[in-house]
Amino acid sequence: MYVNEKLNNLLKRVEKPARYIGGENHIVMKDPADVKARFAFAFPDLYEIGMSYMGLQILYNIMNKKEDVYCERVFAPAPDMAGLMKEEGIPLFTLETKTPVKEMDFFGFTLQYEMSFTSILDMMQQAEVPMLSADRGEDDPIIVCGGPCAYNPEPLADFVDIFLIGDGEESLPKLMERYIEAKEKGLSKREFFELIAGDTGVYIPSFYDVKYAEDGKILAYEKNYEGAPDRVQRYIIDDIEDVPFPEEPLVPLIETVHDRSVIETFRGCTRGCRFCQAGMIYRPVRERSKDKIMDLARKQLASTGHEELSLLSLSTSDYSQFEPLAIELMRECKAQNVSLSLPSLRLDTFSFNVLEEIQGYKKSGLTFAPEAGTQRLRDVINKGITEKDIFDAVEQAIELGWKHIKLYFMIGLPTETDADLDGIADIARRIVEIHKNSGKGGRFNVTVSVSNFVPKAHTPFQWAKQDTTAEFTRKHNYLFEKLKMKGVTFNYHDDSVSTLEAIFARGDRRLSSLLLEANRLGCKLDGWSEHFSLEKWHQAIENAGVDVDFYTTRGREYDEILPWDIIDSAITKKFLLSEMEKATKETVTPDCRYGCRGCGINARTTCKLGGIYEQ
Amino acid sequence: MSNKYVIKFAKEGYIKYTSHLDMLRLFKRAFKKCGIRLAHSQGFNPHPKMGFAQPLSLGYTSRCELLEFETMESQSTADLKEKLAAMMPMGIEILAAAPLNVSAKSLAGVVDEALYKVVFPVDASSADFDKIVADYLAQDEILAEKRQKKTKKMATVDIRGKIRKIAVGEGERLTLMMNLDCGSISNLSPEQVIASFVKFAELPIDRYDIEVERLEIMFEKKAGIKLQF
Ligand code: SF4
Repeated sequence: MYVNEKLNNLLKRVEKPARYIGGENHIVMKDPADVKARFAFAFPDLYEIGMSYMGLQILYNIMNKKEDVYCERVFAPAPDMAGLMKEEGIPLFTLETKTPVKEMDFFGFTLQYEMSFTSILDMMQQAEVPMLSADRGEDDPIIVCGGPCAYNPEPLADFVDIFLIGDGEESLPKLMERYIEAKEKGLSKREFFELIAGDTGVYIPSFYDVKYAEDGKILAYEKNYEGAPDRVQRYIIDDIEDVPFPEEPLVPLIETVHDRSVIETFRGCTRGCRFCQAGMIYRPVRERSKDKIMDLARKQLASTGHEELSLLSLSTSDYSQFEPLAIELMRECKAQNVSLSLPSLRLDTFSFNVLEEIQGYKKSGLTFAPEAGTQRLRDVINKGITEKDIFDAVEQAIELGWKHIKLYFMIGLPTETDADLDGIADIARRIVEIHKNSGKGGRFNVTVSVSNFVPKAHTPFQWAKQDTTAEFTRKHNYLFEKLKMKGVTFNYHDDSVSTLEAIFARGDRRLSSLLLEANRLGCKLDGWSEHFSLEKWHQAIENAGVDVDFYTTRGREYDEILPWDIIDSAITKKFLLSEMEKATKETVTPDCRYGCRGCGINARTTCKLGGIYEQ
Repeated sequence: MSNKYVIKFAKEGYIKYTSHLDMLRLFKRAFKKCGIRLAHSQGFNPHPKMGFAQPLSLGYTSRCELLEFETMESQSTADLKEKLAAMMPMGIEILAAAPLNVSAKSLAGVVDEALYKVVFPVDASSADFDKIVADYLAQDEILAEKRQKKTKKMATVDIRGKIRKIAVGEGERLTLMMNLDCGSISNLSPEQVIASFVKFAELPIDRYDIEVERLEIMFEKKAGIKLQF
C-alpha cells in the first residue's frame, strides 16, 4: 500500500511540507520488488535535525550500495502533520517510496540523545507497529537501534529487538546479509535472533532476564538463551581510511540546521575527560589520511554545490596532520569560493592565523570550553586546559579584534563547591577586564553557557552522583547573581530536563513502564522546549512509581552490577575505576598521545596514535 | 554586452511543496556545481543576480517557470540547458534556455498576466459550469478575503477588475482556465478566485483537494519581450 493519494491533501495544510516529500538531490530510488531487505532508517526528531546528522548520510550511503538492500528514511512528523495523519488514518511512511513503515523488514532508530526516546515510541505508534517487542509478530518490522545511547540500551530493552553496538558501517550491512540468509532459509524471527546472537556488536535484550535485589539494585543478568554472549562486544572498525564516506550526500530541499559539506577526519579521542562518553566509546583514535580527506571534500563540494565545508571529529586540532590539512583546505575553499568552518580549535598561534584567514572581518565569536571554573575542578574532570591557556588566547583574540567570547561550563560536577562557581564568574570578569585594559574599546561581549552534568555510562563518572533538580536551580540562581556584570550574558540548560536525561542515561529495564506512561500521556519531541511538558513527565513518573533519586542522585557502588555492564565498550572497568579514583584525588591523567594510560582498547584493536609523542 | 539569460523549467510532483526561496537555493547550488559563475550585485552584502520572473506559490505545479540570471562569462544556451538539467532533482525539468537581450531591467518588472489551470475535485458534468462561470463573472463585484501586506489583517477586496478571463477547460473533473493580473503592478492570486468561486458555485469541496498549475506567464505588450527558446 502506498499513501500518495491522501498525502497531497495533507501536505497543503501543514507547515514546511517539504519535510515529508523526499525527492532531494542524491536520493536513492530503487524498485522495492528488486531487493531482499527493506530498511527504514528513522531519526526520532524533525527532518531538519535528522538531515544535519552525518551518521544518517553515512549509513544511508553504505546500505544503499548493497544491491539487495533498500534503505529509506523516516523522521518524526511535526505535531501538525502527525495530527492530520492520525485523523486521516495515514500511517508513518518512508520519504523515498511513501511506503508505510510497518511494511518494512526493519525499522531502525539512531539513538543520539535520551530525550528522543519518547519520540521513538511515538513513531512506532504512528507506524502502527506494536511498541513492546513481546507484542510484535512475524509480520511486524524488526526494531533495531544503534548510536551512542545504545551504550546503555536498557531503558529501551522491552521495545527493541536488536541493539547494534559500535561502528555501524560494517555491522549494519552484515546484519542485512544475515537477515537475507535467514529469510532464504525460511527462519522465524526468533530463529533469526538466535542465529545472530553471537555476532559482534549484536545485543538481543530479550535473551536476558534481569533479577533485582530488595533494594532495587541489580542482582544478576540471566541468559534465557544459551547462545547469547555473557557480554556484548562493541563492533570496532580497525581502520576507517577505506570505510565508504558519502561523496554524494543528500542535499535537502529546505533549510536544515547545517546546509554544508562535512568530512569526518578522525574518530576517537585521547584526552580522557572523565565526564565525556564520546571520548571513551569511540576509542581508539582512527584517522583518515589527509589525501583522503581532501579527495572527499572536493567530491562532496562538486556533487552538492554547498557553500560551506566543515570537519567532523571530537577535536579538530588533534588531527595529526592538522596544520598541512588546514592549509590545503583553506587553499581549496578559497579557490572554490566556499567558506570553511573549523569547529573546536585549540587556540594556539596557528589556529589564530587560520581563523584570521577564514573568518576575516566576519568573526563569529571565539569559543572556549573550560568546563569547570577552577583549576582544582578541571583536574578532577581531567580537562587539560589552564587559566593561562584561556587568558593568553583571549588576549591574543582581543588584539586581533574579536568582540565576542563564548565560554562553556558544566555544573554539578563531582566534588564541586560554590568556590568552583565563583571561579566561573571570575573567568568571565577577568576576560572583560582584559578587554578593558587592552584599550580597544567598542562593544565586547562574553557569553557564559552552563550545562548540567549528567553522569554517563562507560565513563569514569558512571558511578557519580548527580545534583538534584533543586540544587541545579540553586546553582543557576547563584551564578545568575554572580554574573550580573556589564558585557556578560548568561545562558543555562533546563534543570528538570537534565534530571530526566540522567534517569535514562543510567537507567535499567524497569524504566520501560515510565516510557510507556510518558507515551500514554502524549510526551514526544521532548528535545524541543515548546513540545516538552514537565507536568506530563511528573505525572508519568508518579504513575510509573519511579524513584528518581535512585537513578540520579545516588552514587553507585564500585561493585554494583550496572545495567550497561552487559555492553563491553572495550575500555576496561579497571581503567574507568582508576580514573574515578584519581578524580577524587584531584590527579590528572595526561593525554595518552604522550604515552599509553592503559584504557584497554589495545587488547581489541591496534591503537595507532597512543603515545605518538612519547616523551 | 552583459551575459543575461533566462531558463524555462517545469516544477511537478511533490517538489511543488518547496517554496520559491528553496528553489533559489537549489539553483544557486546547481550553478555552483556546473561551475557557472553568477554575477553579483555590488555593495557590502553582494547577492547573485538571479531571480524568478514571478515566484510560484507553494503547492502549485507549473510548466512555465522563468528564471533570469546574469553570469560572469558568456554561455551557450544549449550548454546551459544541458548542464543545469543534469543537476535537477526529481520534478524539476529544464525546458529551454535563451539569451535575455531586452531593454527592460528585468523580466520580473514587466510581468503582466498569468494563465492558471485549476482542477476541482468535482465531476465536470455535475452542473452547467459554463453558465455558473458566466454568472460568476457577471457580478458587479466579486468580493474576496485578502491578507493585507502591512497590517497582516484580513480585508475584503473586490477582485473583479483583476480577472481577465475564466473559461471552462477540458477534463472529467471541473477545470477552470484563469487569466489573471500578475506582476508588480497588479496581481491577483488564484487563491482568491478559487475561494470566491467555490462559495459562489456552492461546491461542497475542500481547498486541499484542488490542484493549481501555472501554464503561462505573459509580459506587458509595450515591453516587446520575445524569448527565443
Ligand atoms: S590504549 Fe592507551 S594510548 Fe590507546 S586509547 Fe587507550 S590509553 Fe590511549
